[in-house]
Amino acid sequence: MDWLSVANAAINGIVIGMLLALPALAITLVFGIARFPNAATGDYMTLGAYTTVASQAFLGGSVVTSVFGAMSVTALVSLFFYFWVFRALAERSQVARLIASIGVAFAVRSTITFFAGQDQHVVDVPLVRAWNFGGIRLLPTDLYILTTALTALVIVFCIMHLTPTGRRMRAIADNAELAAASGIRSKRVMIFLWSLTGAFCGLGGALLGIKAVVVPELGWELLMPMFAGVILGGIGSPVGAVLGIVTFSIAQEVASLFAGPPYKIVFAFVILLCVLLLRPQGMFGRPMAAR
Amino acid sequence: MEGYLIAIFISILIYLLLAGGLALQYGFTGLVNFGHVGFFAIGSYTSALLALKGVPIPISLAAATALAALSAYPLGMIALRLGGDYLAIVTLGFSEAVRMMLQTEEWLTRGMHGLPGIPRLFAGWVEPQKTDLLILILLVVVCVGVFFLIHHIIKSPFGRVIEAIRDNEVAVRALGKNPAQFKTRSLMLGAGIAGLAGGLQAHYLTFISPEQYVPLITFYIWIALVLGGVGSLRGVVMGTVLLVGFLEGSRFIRDVIGGVSEVQMASLRIWVIGVALICVILYRPQGLFGSSPKRSR
Repeated sequence: MDWLSVANAAINGIVIGMLLALPALAITLVFGIARFPNAATGDYMTLGAYTTVASQAFLGGSVVTSVFGAMSVTALVSLFFYFWVFRALAERSQVARLIASIGVAFAVRSTITFFAGQDQHVVDVPLVRAWNFGGIRLLPTDLYILTTALTALVIVFCIMHLTPTGRRMRAIADNAELAAASGIRSKRVMIFLWSLTGAFCGLGGALLGIKAVVVPELGWELLMPMFAGVILGGIGSPVGAVLGIVTFSIAQEVASLFAGPPYKIVFAFVILLCVLLLRPQGMFGRPMAAR
Repeated sequence: MEGYLIAIFISILIYLLLAGGLALQYGFTGLVNFGHVGFFAIGSYTSALLALKGVPIPISLAAATALAALSAYPLGMIALRLGGDYLAIVTLGFSEAVRMMLQTEEWLTRGMHGLPGIPRLFAGWVEPQKTDLLILILLVVVCVGVFFLIHHIIKSPFGRVIEAIRDNEVAVRALGKNPAQFKTRSLMLGAGIAGLAGGLQAHYLTFISPEQYVPLITFYIWIALVLGGVGSLRGVVMGTVLLVGFLEGSRFIRDVIGGVSEVQMASLRIWVIGVALICVILYRPQGLFGSSPKRSR
């Protein structure tokens, strides 16, 4: 295996990792604030990808407007499920919310396949040639994806650290009882959290749809890699989620050069087991066992 | 008609075995196993591959049970030290990893082509039409045996410890018991039962392929369990009957209403399962047949 293909795989890993950092951040924030691993994350991504395809096909807008449309749709769907399901389950066990989120995942995906069928779709983007720097290939589309993901992440980190809502959010994530005792009302934080979750999953899904093909299993199959990345970074830690998933994606892309693409899920599973065995708190987090 | 009824009852009994294993894990120990289908798959493929090599079916079934139980051991050891929902994520990853291996390792499993010609239970004992009835009788015996065993386990000292773990882990720890060890044993027992169910299914269908072992099957069992009422064996049976009734019944709905394609019907079926899961958790946490929730959650 020559170093050029390893370098190209690593670049691909960075692009995929930055793109998956958006839903991974959503997983870690929901875990920290609403306190459960949200199994519907992947299918919100699928919804984002399909909404992009649909709005291009029926409304004929540009890629950018379609992606914004998809983000709004997934944000609304995510808010709907918050108000219907997760708000009512806030006082119940973590397991109850987890099982309900599986139900949400199935409901969302089957609604998509009911209307769109099982066939694969593509997001219509202009075909461009890759730039070639002495064997290292770089697609302009990948660069757009990278920039978009990076911008979205910077905006969210600014919101979390510079605005009052962000400060309340971090306070609730840190210690929910203390936050409630200090008079922080969680309602606005929750609405912000679930719109952000929806919008980020939608954006992640749409960007992935641009990079690859749109299939009903698109998001669900990424659930394992995303959980592995989030746990690697330290579940509950936003910075950890981003660094964890990027590290994980690079490792996965390079490893699949040697083992073949079907082993991606197996690889994610092995990484997950190793992290849990050796360092369950991940790179930046606190272990769940402490609770 | 008679043949169809036998097929439905066999289907109910296989789901019932799976549900029994999960009931032991979740209903009585509180373990969130999202990878039940992985143990089921291991059981199916182990028994099928051994029987194809000429191993007698009773021995291949025993091997299927043992291997499924053993595969749960490392998962339990790693995830159960940590508590929380790690087990859910780890087991879900396990079942997907198993499915991917079955798809990829073609030298062993023939990948997506599936394994045809698996020896049938009771083949050659009676005329072919009657073997289904014998399989049904065997499954009834196995189910009764397994449920009797589960009942016995729950009433044993081991059962009291696992129920105590579910209700108050700290108290169990204070009594000097190691919860992780008891949980791992419960996980292995449930996985073994799922493996046995897998083996029996392989020798009934005579053809298996990786597509039969998707995570949806795991959540079929979950809906049967939460629908019937977690923590009661009667609820498990009722929930399973309702589930299979729905899955079979939805075939006829398409004939009646018409204008819905096969793909749409499959989507609709999954949609109903998803929404039912949400609604039961939201509005009837004790299940349809559970009287009062054992846990104040």
